[in-house]
Amino acid sequence: MLAALGAKAVQEVVDAGHFGRFAWRATTTSARCCARRRTFPLVWNQMFVIGVHSVPVVMITGAFVGMTLAVQAYDQLAGMGLEEHLGVLINISVVKELGPVLAAVMLAGRIGGALTAELGTMNVTEQIDAVRSMGTDPIRYLVAPRLLASLLLTPVLTIFADFMGVIGGALVSFLQMEINSRAYWNHSASAVALWDVSIGVAKAFFFGGAIATISCYKGFTCKEGAHGVGQACTEAFVASFISILALDFAIAVISKNIYEIFWPLKSIVT
Amino acid sequence: MTDGNNQKPRNGSSGIIIETRNLVKRFGPKLVLDNVSLAIEKGKTTVVIGPSGCGKTVLIKHFIVLIRPSGGEVHFKGRRVDNLGERELDQVRTHFGYLFQEGALFDSMTVAENIMFPIQQHARIRNRGEIEDIVKAKLAMVGLDGFQHYYPARLSGGQRKRVALARAIALNPEVILYDEPTTGLDPIRSDIINELILKLERELGVTTIVVTHDMKSAYKVADRIIMLHNGKVIADGDADDIRNHVHPVVQQFIHGQVSDDDLAVLRMTGAATTPQFLPRDFEQ
Repeated sequence: MLAALGAKAVQEVVDAGHFGRFAWRATTTSARCCARRRTFPLVWNQMFVIGVHSVPVVMITGAFVGMTLAVQAYDQLAGMGLEEHLGVLINISVVKELGPVLAAVMLAGRIGGALTAELGTMNVTEQIDAVRSMGTDPIRYLVAPRLLASLLLTPVLTIFADFMGVIGGALVSFLQMEINSRAYWNHSASAVALWDVSIGVAKAFFFGGAIATISCYKGFTCKEGAHGVGQACTEAFVASFISILALDFAIAVISKNIYEIFWPLKSIVT
Repeated sequence: MTDGNNQKPRNGSSGIIIETRNLVKRFGPKLVLDNVSLAIEKGKTTVVIGPSGCGKTVLIKHFIVLIRPSGGEVHFKGRRVDNLGERELDQVRTHFGYLFQEGALFDSMTVAENIMFPIQQHARIRNRGEIEDIVKAKLAMVGLDGFQHYYPARLSGGQRKRVALARAIALNPEVILYDEPTTGLDPIRSDIINELILKLERELGVTTIVVTHDMKSAYKVADRIIMLHNGKVIADGDADDIRNHVHPVVQQFIHGQVSDDDLAVLRMTGAATTPQFLPRDFEQ
């Protein structure tokens, strides 16, 4: 029993080491690829697959997040006579937290699953070995374009989600809750700063990196057969989801500290 | 009986191109290669035979360092390669062509794009027309010119292997590794592949290493045959040496005979396959 537990722990550490090594190689190779013009078409192709096809899904997610927030928060604020501040709550929540996190979760399911399934199938049919056998680094050819496309496009897709969340929340507030639109926007503009939007977009950058790295790793290491590919897809989604939440927490703590350090300087600058 | 008339005439030796020294490979507790020391001669066709799962594919994947050894060394043209970094290995691998068992063609690319892949990655040719000419020439060598725009899914098993072979020779390699080239093909298509192996050796002057358990193919293409069993080399020689080898496992293998031990196991487990143990709908 104890021996089995120990063996399991050792295996987990070994797996973590393998993932760390893979993530490091993926990051450094991607950084080098930024200066290689031959990589650009591959990145462009992946941007089309990852980005263009994800826009509707992400926009629908964002819109429903904003609309649901409006319905849920209205009663609480109206009870205190603060219904005109509904926009503040919706927009802060959307741009800083729910927009980036839920868009990333959607992308983890859509892109992450597709990346793992594609690379996993290539792995079990020896196509990745074929790439290596022809003297091409599969990290450079297969992982770096996907990682770069994901890093570049997750923030863009998050902006789409944020935009639709803001619009969705505003429409429900105006049409269903009959809140004065001028007051709604005035309060929102005074409370939502560029900093809040920037933090959301910065989070999306890290979420995109985590989704692509984890999904590619799971594809590269998936076990043989259809069951192996299916299992790798599930593991990729679960691991991406947990890492999104963990990164969200970490970035929230870090950004709060940065904000508190630099907040006093704001009055000097402005 | 094997057809002795179909045996290949021997080539002259011209030096060692690949060498393994005390090669050991373990996957967990399983020992797959046990102190394998081999020297592959340049310009010759070496065939590695042995029962399924004996480590043949693992051995040739070591030659190109797709698998790192657990112990021992791999040398290519006198240089140790098993301890090189991936970036240095990428250069070494361009000297090899590897035909995978199932072809391993990129299924999202056309036949032409598959063959263009190594050329675009390594050859300093930017002119699209020039690359297309090379693709056409390589496809013509395997008898498939005109299939450029097909996707691998539309090809038969034999055609897929021939396209994979065209891709393997795209960079004019010095060594071609064939992993079970005739497996899953009918006898005529198997013979087409055998003829292609001989043709490429003749026309390109390459060193050829074939992994197979198809003895007809082995006798036809081999200058030298090596037999692996339980991770060890148990026979090494030309076709006649193998035919006359005294090791009982070699004789069982080349004549396709099941061993007494395996027969005993089959007889012991025979009761499980008698009709009373089969599902009812199976009997109907």
